[in-house]
Amino acid sequence: MVATLLQIAEVYLWIGAAVAAVFLLWGIDRVEPNAAGAFVFRPLLIPGILLIWPLVLWRWWVLTRGETGVRRHRPPRRVQHAVAIVLALAIPVILMGALLVRQNRPLERPAVLLAPPAAAPAAEGEAGQ
Amino acid sequence: MNDAGDRSEPFFIGWAKAPTGLRPFLIGVGLCLVVLFGGVGFIAAATQADPGSGRGGRGETAIGVLTYDPYPLLYVTESERYPTGHTLLLSGNAKFGVQDRASALDGRLVQVSGGPVARGDLDMLRLRNGPDGLSLVEGAPATPEVPEPVPLGRWRLTGEICDGQCYGGAMRPGTGLAHRACANLCLIGGVPPVFVSTQAVAGEEFLLLADAEGGPVTDAVLDHVAMLVDVEGEVERRGDLLVFRIDPASLQVAP
Repeated sequence: MVATLLQIAEVYLWIGAAVAAVFLLWGIDRVEPNAAGAFVFRPLLIPGILLIWPLVLWRWWVLTRGETGVRRHRPPRRVQHAVAIVLALAIPVILMGALLVRQNRPLERPAVLLAPPAAAPAAEGEAGQ
Repeated sequence: MNDAGDRSEPFFIGWAKAPTGLRPFLIGVGLCLVVLFGGVGFIAAATQADPGSGRGGRGETAIGVLTYDPYPLLYVTESERYPTGHTLLLSGNAKFGVQDRASALDGRLVQVSGGPVARGDLDMLRLRNGPDGLSLVEGAPATPEVPEPVPLGRWRLTGEICDGQCYGGAMRPGTGLAHRACANLCLIGGVPPVFVSTQAVAGEEFLLLADAEGGPVTDAVLDHVAMLVDVEGEVERRGDLLVFRIDPASLQVAP
């Protein structure tokens, strides 16, 4: 199970590396005019692109279609209200759920003597001191 | 409220001088925040389990009889720090045991040297590397007798399986789920596992773990480390140390 998850993560990051290479070397000049001729900052974007490359591809596609200005920010703003409500409900539920499923401690559970020692009764008395 | 009213009211800006009319309110809010956060911090800290004192020292030396199973132990015969007859758990530096060095010295009189960790009635010595940490006492007239195990019966205990080194004070806290990965690495490295019982058995809160035959039990308990578990087994006293010879099949997460 863990090995499968690690393999999925590895594939995801390799795809992110490919997206980062193409986007930073070719795509960014086409969707962000201010980036033209500026190269030093681009390596700084690599870690972020590795993690959120699906969002990068989606934004790249949207911007290539010509949506600019206010419209580019409209989708996240439109869902902001719903996200706030969902988070306001989800965070307490997650916290309460975590508290409910975690083990209760510290506990003073009794130590149960199931069977006394078979021999050496003198030793048992000594141990109880 | 109209625009004119808005402009006439004092307005707080973090970087600007506070308006005179708002100062009492701001002082009140500030005091409330200090009390509120201070109180929450105090309550959160006070409700945490005791992480132990973590007391130790830079170096201690002791002479005694070494036994190998289930994990390397020393029955002290001579030491400035430990009383004669005291039982010490032995481990190496970092996350390693000393099984490799101790295997050839089972039942022999040895001198050990290293950093002590202690918590409650648990005493462990983290041995230095090489012969400086563990060496045979040459020319000893006779090896003292090791106390015979005293059976204390079969028990069902609830508690947590920890590595003796971190629980003793090498880590604070050395218990709990957040410490599970560290504890497992220590145990895999050979550090003796200890069972920290929620209630004392024969006056002791921690017991050295062994399997039903008295051998090492590390591999069988790794999946239950750092959780509250129920387990059954035979308890026996060796010197002033309790050994819990568990039946690994009876291990279960406590409800």
